Amino acid sequence: MKTKKINKNMVTNILYPVIFGAIILILCQTQIMHKILGTDVFTLPLPSRIIEIISENIPKIMVNVKATLIVSVGGLIIGSLLGYLLAIIATVFPKGGAGGLSVAAAFNAIPIVVIAPIFNNLTKGISSDASFRSMIAKTLVVTVFCMASMSINAYRGLNELPPFSVDLLKSYAAGNFTIFKKLRLPNSIPYIFIALRVTVPGCIISGVVCEYFAEYVIGVGRQIRENIVTAQYATAWAYITVACIMGIIMYIILLIAENVLLKGRKS
Amino acid sequence: MNKAKKLLLSKKMIILYWVLGLIAVWEVIASIVAVTKRSPENVLPHIYQVIASVFSNTMAGPTKTITQIVISNAGMTLWRAAVGFLIGMAVGYILALLMSLFKTVEKVAFPYLMIIQMIPILGIAPIILAITKDIDASRIIIAAILTFYPVSTNVLAGFKSVQQEKLDLMFSLAAKRKDVYMKLMVPASMPYFFTGLKIAAPMAITASILVDTLQGGGGLGCMLSQSLKHAMSIYVFWQIAFLSAIVGILSFCLMGVIEKILSPQRKAKL
Repeated sequence: MKTKKINKNMVTNILYPVIFGAIILILCQTQIMHKILGTDVFTLPLPSRIIEIISENIPKIMVNVKATLIVSVGGLIIGSLLGYLLAIIATVFPKGGAGGLSVAAAFNAIPIVVIAPIFNNLTKGISSDASFRSMIAKTLVVTVFCMASMSINAYRGLNELPPFSVDLLKSYAAGNFTIFKKLRLPNSIPYIFIALRVTVPGCIISGVVCEYFAEYVIGVGRQIRENIVTAQYATAWAYITVACIMGIIMYIILLIAENVLLKGRKS
Repeated sequence: MNKAKKLLLSKKMIILYWVLGLIAVWEVIASIVAVTKRSPENVLPHIYQVIASVFSNTMAGPTKTITQIVISNAGMTLWRAAVGFLIGMAVGYILALLMSLFKTVEKVAFPYLMIIQMIPILGIAPIILAITKDIDASRIIIAAILTFYPVSTNVLAGFKSVQQEKLDLMFSLAAKRKDVYMKLMVPASMPYFFTGLKIAAPMAITASILVDTLQGGGGLGCMLSQSLKHAMSIYVFWQIAFLSAIVGILSFCLMGVIEKILSPQRKAKL
């Protein structure tokens, strides 16, 4: 009886959103949506047309997807590692570190639109190859974004410990390193995933936004902008769809990883 | 002596040290850039040069100085961001309430909230423009869309964080649904609500600036891209960079201040 109930719950979990999505798609396809919103097929292309464009241009789209993924995932990995390292440093030196993290949090509030051109200009001298240096610039921006978010959450994970657990370990004569390894590190893992839930979709978006300002014309984001500026809305929508799919796939990978790694930890 | 030492090591002072450190790093890089590059002000000017440009009377446009241009455009952009933020906040809260009241709404809407978050904002701008026929309205709507997601997911998490025992107590007292929400759920979700607002406030400003770049009509984003294309003084860009960074951080702090005023019993966290 119980398993049946769970199954029903899971079915509705998936079924309801799918039905809703299908209704929206049908409304778009039959152009009822266009009437409601007062728009036309030109700005809001039919879903079938978008799929057609995607399937026709797969090789070109893949080139751009790859460029965006390198930037986003590269920035995500470097930023998360650096952020965790910052959190460890802040834990070791609590006096100066916590203030440093407030400054890192402030970095999160700086609009990405402003950081992107600065890094673009700064990295101009790195290489004579425009594609390489603009890739570095974009990766740096994503890194800054991921680092701030990860360092704040990891710091909380390393320091918001169960009450008296540090005292307990100290009464066992555990050194600081043992406390870190046996207590702080395991305690911080759920917090890492909290940070990743923000940064994984965020890294794609910030990668895409950086590309708007990048020097070298490549990437999903740049294609969206170029196509909007030239009023090729159907192609722009195709790239928007691709960007969404990238984000969703990354998020699903994260959820699977979280399920596997945090098995038995969740209440 | 001890007091002075305490003051020097207080939290605010430590933040100040970090900011000074960052300024030092900036200045070192700027000095290197000043020697090695042909036009250093395009890459990274000294901070004093940027500050000097605020007070200089150089004409950047036909009638206005750099600072006048930046301030008048900042007014427009921030106004749009603020209006969008308020609309997004209200809609986000109502949606979270609906999701918490009706399980079906949550099941339908929650995955789409995720997806909305992943749509690049510049992409939706032309569509919304086509619907509203007014670029300013569409800028406001886009700021609202970005605000609304963090608010509604955080408020929903807040509603869910209420302990079962408290709910049981309310039910055993035969509380009405309205009372359960007014007396228990809404107050309990307040910290989560403000967490959402703290994420959303800088995002609304970012969105507002970003969508400005898409079309003319005034706004920080417009000036920013014109300045980067060297259609006007590059210091317009640097002033916008500093201004938007400061406003972004202030908007984050402002939410913390409002939270403190509204719920002083809670200690503000990092």
